[in-house]
Amino acid sequence: MPAPSYFEKEGVMELSWEIILMQVIMGLALGAIYVLLASGLSIIFGLLDVLNFAHGTFYMLGAYAMFTAISLCGNFWVGLVAAVVIVSLIGALFEMTLLKRLYGTDQIYPLLLCFGLGIFIPDIVKMIFGLIGKVVDYPSMLQGASFVGNLILPKYRIFLVVLMALVLLALYLFMKKTSIGMIIRAATRDRLMVNCLGINVSRVWTVGFMLGIGLAALAGAVAAPMVQTIPNMGDEMTVEAFVVVVIGGLGSLGGAALGGLILGQVVSFVSLLAPDWSNVSIFLTMALILVLRPRGLFGEEGRD
Amino acid sequence: MSAKQNTQEVTAYKPYSWQAILEFRAMWVLLALGLVLPFVISKPLATEIMIYALFALAFNLMLGHTGIISFGHAGYLGAGAYAGAMVVYYGGVGVWVSLLAAMAGGTVIAVLIGLLAVKRKGAYFAMISLAIAQMLYFLALSPFKRWTDGEDSLKLPPLSVDFPFHIDLSDQLSLYYFVFVIVALAVLVQWRILSSPFGHALKGIRENEDRIRACGFNITRIKFLSIVYSGLFSGLAGGLLAIYLGAASITILFWMTSGIVVMQTVLGGTHTFMGPFIGTAVFLYLRNAISNYTDRWEMWVGAMFMALILLFPEGIWGTVMQKIGERRRPSAS
Repeated sequence: MPAPSYFEKEGVMELSWEIILMQVIMGLALGAIYVLLASGLSIIFGLLDVLNFAHGTFYMLGAYAMFTAISLCGNFWVGLVAAVVIVSLIGALFEMTLLKRLYGTDQIYPLLLCFGLGIFIPDIVKMIFGLIGKVVDYPSMLQGASFVGNLILPKYRIFLVVLMALVLLALYLFMKKTSIGMIIRAATRDRLMVNCLGINVSRVWTVGFMLGIGLAALAGAVAAPMVQTIPNMGDEMTVEAFVVVVIGGLGSLGGAALGGLILGQVVSFVSLLAPDWSNVSIFLTMALILVLRPRGLFGEEGRD
Repeated sequence: MSAKQNTQEVTAYKPYSWQAILEFRAMWVLLALGLVLPFVISKPLATEIMIYALFALAFNLMLGHTGIISFGHAGYLGAGAYAGAMVVYYGGVGVWVSLLAAMAGGTVIAVLIGLLAVKRKGAYFAMISLAIAQMLYFLALSPFKRWTDGEDSLKLPPLSVDFPFHIDLSDQLSLYYFVFVIVALAVLVQWRILSSPFGHALKGIRENEDRIRACGFNITRIKFLSIVYSGLFSGLAGGLLAIYLGAASITILFWMTSGIVVMQTVLGGTHTFMGPFIGTAVFLYLRNAISNYTDRWEMWVGAMFMALILLFPEGIWGTVMQKIGERRRPSAS
């Protein structure tokens, strides 16, 4: 996803500190979306050992659910909650009816099933909503920008960064402090042992899958006002979420967070300085990290 | 052999086992069918089937025979197509040199991905290969636009071969047989590779990597070679594709190409040699037939692919081999 740049002027551009700071904020907001998306992917992989090739598809569904809910009830916040809940339930339905049958087989089959879903669903969305992009408005209280001296602070992007921080904090507390979080962490380490303790692991997997899908849907829902909501908007995001978790280390939440923030800054600054290279820079960053630290920044030894 | 066999053992073929003999015969039958294919279905479709069948076989060197999940094969095919097309467009060389350049192009990308990711397993390799292929797509799309023409594909003049005798490649039938001969040779070379001790080491890695390592094989080197061979043949397919399309187009590099080759291979059967060939023929024929009736091709292919994974994960040819194996089992053991 190209970062929106306010400074796409012709000719010479002066790099003042305001512009740099501005671009940092842009990068943080973009990074926030990457973080939400990639942490969901990472949870699903860590717990279920399934590489969710349909992750971007659920991101897209989040944006469309947001659009539908807002056009029905007219409120941004109700829409946001409704979008996350509806898409998580779709995810749970998929997990319980189809994905569950493939646990215990070769790693490739669940991956391919998700891939098939990622081809199937965008076409359904095309059929229902058409090819033309949908517009989701910014909520009225977050429109425009506030000014601090010469510095422009776009409210919605600040909101994204705060939201990401809150979600990460909630996720951390959920994983560390609640009993279900503890079970999820234990099942990530050793599912057989957790099963032996008399815990219904199959239900834990459903919860974990829902959680991951919910994060993808949240990312899509909050990204909807900033990007064009089209049926294929998720395809590139799947790949970019992969890049984030490769950089951060698969299965590590901290890695997903750091990787997402790094990638946000890279995209933001490259699209300011060399717009042609903004898409390529994502993958070059990944290649560089792989050369320097093959298992990713926070990757654990042996979990490759 | 223990009485309780799992499906893996049934489908994995051993030297001179009944599976290998059956595959060997199936290969000759399919190649013989290939001789008359352009008279059964349209000539462009027949040509496309041959090219993509070579691509799927090359892809399956990694997925089916070595057990490496690659989602970056669009990169190999596209690198082959662009390398082949660019030497013709800028260098004005002949078709044979173009095909050599295409093989080199695919190999270079394979070496690149191999160096970065050969030690990564499963899902990690899938993600890294997909990312590198996407990088090539975006490179060709905008920073290298000057050389690749970006979204306007790099168009080739009408081509012909002068050595060993004159073949006019703008004639559809001559083009088909030109492609067919090259694909058939490549299939035979791949068969030879897979029947060699190296080929059996690949299968060993797929079945049990730790055991093969314990036997003293250099896993990394064997896997790397498998990636390179796959890139080489994919590059060749890319070169043929550029000649067939008369252009190197950016859509070849798009990730969907990688997805389609995965689907074709799984449809035919990953744990077999000729499965990808059969899968490609069925897939492309169906796509051609269904797209006459509906625009919703992706929806149907997505749904059918999910059903395939859930119900027949061994694919068409793999399931046939499995059935034959079940019938043979009482007498074989």
